[in-house]
Amino acid sequence: MTKPIYIHGGGCISIQPTFQPDYFFDTFHSYASNPVPALEPDYKSLIPPLQLRRMNKSMRMALFTARQALLQAGRENVDGVIVGSGLGCLRDSERFVEAILAEEGQPLNPTPFIQSTHNMAAATIALSLGCKGYNMTYVNNASSFESALLDTLVYLMEHPDRSVLVGGVDELGDRTTLFWELADYLKKDGSDTGETAAEGASFFVASAERGESALGKVTAVECCVQPHDVEDFIRGFLRRQGLGVDDLDAVLLGVNGDGRYDAVYESVARRCFPRLPQMVFKPILGEYDTVTAAGVFLTLQVLARQSLPPALLYNGIHPARLQRILVYTQRRGRNHGLILLEQ
Amino acid sequence: MSELTQELKAKIINQLNLEDLSVDDLDDNTPLFGEGLGLDSIDALELIVMLDKSYGIKLSDPKEGRNVFKTIQTMADFIEANRK
Amino acid sequence: MNSPTPIAVTGMGAVSAIGENVAAHLDSLSRCEHGIRPISNMDTCHRGRLLAGEIRVPDDELYRRLGISPGEAYTRSTLLAGLAAREAIVQAGIDLHDGHRTGFISATTVGGMDATERHYDNYLSSPAYRHFIPTHPGGVAAEQLAGLLGVPGMVTTISTACSSAANAIMLGARMIRAGVLDRAIVGGTDCLSRFTINGFNALMIYADDHCRPFDEHRKGLNLGEAAAYLVLEAAEREVAPMRVPLAYLTGYGNANDAFHQTASSEHGEGAYLAMEQALHVAGVAPAEVGYINAHGTATPNNDLAEGHALLRLFGRKDDLPPFSSTKAFTGHTLAAAGAVEAVFSVLALQHQLAFANLNFSEPIAGLDIVPLTQPENRKIDHVLSNSFGFGGNCTALLFSKAHD
Repeated sequence: MTKPIYIHGGGCISIQPTFQPDYFFDTFHSYASNPVPALEPDYKSLIPPLQLRRMNKSMRMALFTARQALLQAGRENVDGVIVGSGLGCLRDSERFVEAILAEEGQPLNPTPFIQSTHNMAAATIALSLGCKGYNMTYVNNASSFESALLDTLVYLMEHPDRSVLVGGVDELGDRTTLFWELADYLKKDGSDTGETAAEGASFFVASAERGESALGKVTAVECCVQPHDVEDFIRGFLRRQGLGVDDLDAVLLGVNGDGRYDAVYESVARRCFPRLPQMVFKPILGEYDTVTAAGVFLTLQVLARQSLPPALLYNGIHPARLQRILVYTQRRGRNHGLILLEQ
Repeated sequence: MSELTQELKAKIINQLNLEDLSVDDLDDNTPLFGEGLGLDSIDALELIVMLDKSYGIKLSDPKEGRNVFKTIQTMADFIEANRK
Repeated sequence: MNSPTPIAVTGMGAVSAIGENVAAHLDSLSRCEHGIRPISNMDTCHRGRLLAGEIRVPDDELYRRLGISPGEAYTRSTLLAGLAAREAIVQAGIDLHDGHRTGFISATTVGGMDATERHYDNYLSSPAYRHFIPTHPGGVAAEQLAGLLGVPGMVTTISTACSSAANAIMLGARMIRAGVLDRAIVGGTDCLSRFTINGFNALMIYADDHCRPFDEHRKGLNLGEAAAYLVLEAAEREVAPMRVPLAYLTGYGNANDAFHQTASSEHGEGAYLAMEQALHVAGVAPAEVGYINAHGTATPNNDLAEGHALLRLFGRKDDLPPFSSTKAFTGHTLAAAGAVEAVFSVLALQHQLAFANLNFSEPIAGLDIVPLTQPENRKIDHVLSNSFGFGGNCTALLFSKAHD
């Protein structure tokens, strides 16, 4: 069994101004378009321009939020970098395919090929920090970030004196978006099915010790591709931590507005959490494989500030206290994930 | 000749994504690799592609690039000598 | 501090250009029969010119062998993985529904890109292949296979370029030792694709002849396609009773070169750190290593860096154990390489046989190290297997003999 880990700093780029230091989900940009690109910070404030030139959007977002997390944690470096990304560096993948289809046989620019490698975000962070430690990238659909987080829990149990940057990043791609429309993934005007596709990165500094300060604690994480019974999955997870649903103070649910798949949240909310405050995050952050990392960013802020952004409250029940919050997400009926966060 | 060096500078800035530099910032004789501009092996490959696509010159061995790409001036000289 | 749970390898499966199962691989390796030929199956302009390790089984035959209906969307990497994973599970003789926590940890770089590149334009113009759209992401193979093979527990996918499968194997062992899993099916898969063929060609590291690992005149790699999986179990009686494991996974290490996006540092710092960690985790001294299955892609950069790292780890040329790269047999199978070569490492232990490094004639100047050029029977207690990928990702695994 794994042990809890402590989060000392976090950074988040999303379709809301989450990269701004004092932002706490009080004001929102609303979007008519689908997909929605991330709001980008001034990357040069944290990344030298000569490094930026060889970085695609995933790499920039990952490195920037990793540096924000380090700043907040008051650290210069870490011992390991563990990343989750559902689709990796999608734009460069598209660029290289398009180059092949147009020009195979003529000289092809190698840069998009190199930058399409899924582990480039993790590599970029390591290169920028000069971190020669453990470096891993998980590419497993909507459990990519959860996989990275689970590895982090195991790694810090193996090495309790070390620290890790753990995060999730995903970017949009133009042609891939068209494919998603054809595959009926995306929400169209006025429809109550489909997702709002977005992108972003969220990174955290984690260690096994609370130390002088921590934003919060990740106690446990579990995923299941398709549980037989979601309620059993949730109760079993809590039981393994010696807890029941009554020990929770709030839940963060991955409701995303896709009527085909949101029903599981209604059912679980009714059966497991009827009296708990229920928050949501995907309606303002959109949907992508690693958006749960942004959900964790939000939850850590809730725990640190001991306050819940009213606009994200789904069921109108206000919290009595905020010490233990469960994050439950899934995407298109698969990759059910549970993350338990505590003060 | 200086037209070619100006053209090369613009192409290099574009191809290698040197966003923050302008043509005036690049000196004809500054070393491109190592000290100087600090380009690396991937940039060298991109320059080889540029030589082929823009000037019809093929370098089959990346190691040939080391001398050709020393400075903007050496590139220009090589292109003048070999372009099709 | 308790000594860590021994990790037993109880099953293996592999499919590559030199065999459709593990026994066929042993045969090819023993006879020095490689599988590198001019590309013939891919629809690429490099067909006939560039050499690769192609698997001569078309997709529809793979569907048939796996019992998958032709109307379902399975990409080639997934199909190859299905064969290899099934062979491993059958050999291990495990009942996936016996209540033990079993994970499926896979690895890929290509994912469903072979389908995406084939249908990139026609997805837009015709509905005929749109059922393949959901197969693009790297994580699809593992989930489809977990469903097909009936693996009930944790499923995940690692993608760290050429070290991917070695990392999947390492994760499986760590998850078992952490008490998160009782056993793990671990490995990786990558089919050939225009994407990767053109990518390595654009980097000018795709040789136009047979690759020459560790040779002074090496000019680059040949690609290959493959899938390979191992079954790892906690070697305690209730999980793996009364069976002698094929071998033990005793050591593993991952480190980052943090030098450049693709090139290794000249002295292979990341490679050295990974190998050093693997030996440290195993509690094995360099002198005890009987054979090294090197990463040895035959690129100018890798073999030089890896050679330096090996010399640094083992001290001097004369203390270097017999080593070889088997990539001249299979091609560089990218994300699958770490698992294919793990299978070779276990075969080496089972048969006390070190494999040949083909196409070698002259050592790298300045390093002066000479790989095995013929297969050799020798006493081997421990095998070190290296896999190094883009992004400076370096992984080393140590396998140890299971004594009766």
